[in-house]
Amino acid sequence: MKQAGSNNIFSYKYRLKRLRRDSNYWAILTLVLLAFIALPVISIGVKLFAGPGETWGHIVDNLLFDYLGNSLFLILACGTLVLLLGVSSAWLVARFEFPLRKQMEWLLILPLAIPGYIVAYAYAGIFDYGGSFQLLLESIGLEFIRIDMMNKYGLAFVLGISLFPYVYVSSRAFFMNQANSLLEASEMLGVGQVKTFFRLMLPMARPAIVAGLILVLMEVLNDYGAAKYYGVNTFTTGIFRSWFALEEPETAVYLSALLIVIVFTLILLEKFQRRNVQFNSNRSNSKSIDRIKPGRQKRSLIFLVVLIPVFLGFILPVGQLIYWATLTFDKVFNSSFLALSLQSFWIAFLTAFMTVVMAVTLIYFSKWSRMSFIKNVAKLGVLGYAIPGAVIAIGIMIPMISLDKWLISIFDKVLNLDIGLIITGSLVALIYAYVVRFLAVAYNPIESTSLKVSKTIPDSSRILGVGNIRTFFRIEFPLIRTGIASAFILVFIDVLKELPLTLILKPFHVNTLAVKAYEYASDEMVMEAAIPSLFIIITVMLPVIFLNRMLIK
Amino acid sequence: MLEINSLSKSFDKGKSFALKDVSFHLNEGDVCALVGESGSGKTTLVRLIAGLESPDAGTIKINGRIVSSLKTFVPPEKRKVGLVFQEYALFPHMTLFKNVLYGISREKNKKARAQEVLELVGLGGMEDRYPHQLSGGQQQRVALARALAPNPSLLILDEPFSNLDAILRAQLRNEIFEIVKNTGVTAVFVTHDTQDALAVADEILILQDGELIQKDEAANLYTKPNSIYVASLFGNTIQLSQELQSAFNCPLNPACSHAIRNENFAINEECEHVTYAQVIKRTFLGNDTQLLLKLDSGQKLAVLTKERNVADRIRIGFNSKDVLEFKY
Repeated sequence: MKQAGSNNIFSYKYRLKRLRRDSNYWAILTLVLLAFIALPVISIGVKLFAGPGETWGHIVDNLLFDYLGNSLFLILACGTLVLLLGVSSAWLVARFEFPLRKQMEWLLILPLAIPGYIVAYAYAGIFDYGGSFQLLLESIGLEFIRIDMMNKYGLAFVLGISLFPYVYVSSRAFFMNQANSLLEASEMLGVGQVKTFFRLMLPMARPAIVAGLILVLMEVLNDYGAAKYYGVNTFTTGIFRSWFALEEPETAVYLSALLIVIVFTLILLEKFQRRNVQFNSNRSNSKSIDRIKPGRQKRSLIFLVVLIPVFLGFILPVGQLIYWATLTFDKVFNSSFLALSLQSFWIAFLTAFMTVVMAVTLIYFSKWSRMSFIKNVAKLGVLGYAIPGAVIAIGIMIPMISLDKWLISIFDKVLNLDIGLIITGSLVALIYAYVVRFLAVAYNPIESTSLKVSKTIPDSSRILGVGNIRTFFRIEFPLIRTGIASAFILVFIDVLKELPLTLILKPFHVNTLAVKAYEYASDEMVMEAAIPSLFIIITVMLPVIFLNRMLIK
Repeated sequence: MLEINSLSKSFDKGKSFALKDVSFHLNEGDVCALVGESGSGKTTLVRLIAGLESPDAGTIKINGRIVSSLKTFVPPEKRKVGLVFQEYALFPHMTLFKNVLYGISREKNKKARAQEVLELVGLGGMEDRYPHQLSGGQQQRVALARALAPNPSLLILDEPFSNLDAILRAQLRNEIFEIVKNTGVTAVFVTHDTQDALAVADEILILQDGELIQKDEAANLYTKPNSIYVASLFGNTIQLSQELQSAFNCPLNPACSHAIRNENFAINEECEHVTYAQVIKRTFLGNDTQLLLKLDSGQKLAVLTKERNVADRIRIGFNSKDVLEFKY
């Protein structure tokens, strides 16, 4: 009898009653926020039904194979390069004591401060005719051998060298925090260093390494500036071409949809590789690793090996940029450039604020809803980070243009006013797109700090008669401030570096440092691109160092 | 005062139940203990009463007002329930005074009241300290003061002593319940420790696998448990199987099951039902000694005794009045 009664309360009638009882404002608001974030992808999906554009057939016949081939090549080549550089440097830094190790630990992150397209400009300059490489060879009396960077091999190298820190950071975190007791066990059993690394640490670290790798591949697929400059046809450049040059939104939409499929395949592969792995955060493992102190020769060798990625990914390109900057300083650095920088910072600041607000509301509204399914779907909001900026931009343009057309017709009919496009090409569209793309960047640090606050603390507040919103401001906000601050900084950095999305959506009169650098470079004035590039790098570098300190803590 | 009617909660859409068809009521001023092993549904029941979860079925009434049913759900901030968590859950960025003030910030005499409850729990003069500057026992008192400050109509203490060591525990338990009883608040005290429950509660509720299996006064629960599970919660119990019944020459109603508490076994004393046994092993356990006996009828039986020097051959027995009888 009892069993029958218990089953009965899960009949649809009961479920519906409970749904009515438990659906509060927060649940509805969470769904509204999610719809807002999902709008770009949805509008691409809807637009697919309108059919491909005229040139689609031509693209399928002549270019699609090129796009696919190049993108796959970049995934494989960049993937291999970042794994080699990232994992080896993480292991050496975590496991061995060598000169300047502490400095190297954070220097290895700095390549992330330089956007891929800027590294691409620098390397193009280094290996060009009359470039630094030629001058160097001639000064030591060698004959000039030209290395051609402007192809897919050069592109893979440039992207790999600037993105490997993602793999470095995630695998170093594993090697430093999780590995100690395993290493001790392995040492006790008398297993050598090399074997320990390949047989034990590498398989154990795989989930962490692959998580970093996936981030790299997302960035590779997102890149526009470097691929454009090196003349390599990728999906992103294809989307730009069909949008701007061919003026065929339908074709851009089809390419975007294909790119989304590729990205989500990668995400599924990542989930699949993690299926059997359980993360254990055993506290006894968190004591820091005992480093090996090798002999002098070996020490210097390790130092050199770790120096290579720092040199190639940071010192060399920055050196080239500084050299260029000295040549073009008088021409570029003027009051309008300062105004442009301020505009760029202001946009990044505003976006970071909006994104943090969005992340906080999404996290807390879903917590406050009493339905478990709301809590599960809220996480989907972070998938925007996986979608390349160009795709998000297209996905936002489509509904914005329709909205504008609608507004124009309303104003025309009712007030007889010609208002023109108000939303398309305004800051609203640009910041909306940034929020969708960078939500995950803010969501993850805020969520992880909020998980550190025991659930019983906000619960206590509510039991003491204080509602959700006041509980947030009085109890939770003070306790998750650090998470919010790092979320803010991370989004600020990402917006400052962002190129493809900004190029498509930026208002006509607005400019950013990234766009300025791109414009100089595409106008055959790559030397002039150095100053805006250095501005980005310096602004990004300070917080990167700061955040690395927090990671080490 | 608190009325709970066929309350059920499942966290996996009906595959298993954290709480199943639980009903009971408490009167004004009752202090009741909710006893069960971990996973028995105690914490779920508490969270449902406080409004931190919503039930799948059933109703909860506090002071005659429905706070949870299929139609209504009163949020926790409007229930006037006080809750002291196992890990105290003090606000780490606020002083003791601010912590206690938190729930009464809209009242007129809030400062005097906060001072009053802090004195009540014996922490006067420590108002400006932060939670991390206090010992576990002191944090526990702050949590109690904070919960009592708004004069809740119902106070729930969820495993309040399980983070404290054994010596501190008994002392603090008595102190805290003296405070609770003096305020006259209706209180529910959640614990897995039956000693704690027996020491402080007027009434005890036993939960097993999400079901309420017995609710009674402490003394009754001890003498008339309705299942061998409840009996064994309150002390070492030995089931009287058919074989043991015949060994002691004590035939009992075969439709029921029976048990006897270990302490009701008598060694070498006059009893209604006796048998002889050989001691085959002695295990010294400090207060008690465990004897492994081989009865003359062939069964083995382990009993505890305070007696240190027991002969190798003994007579063991019990009286009929001490036999516990269960319907199932």
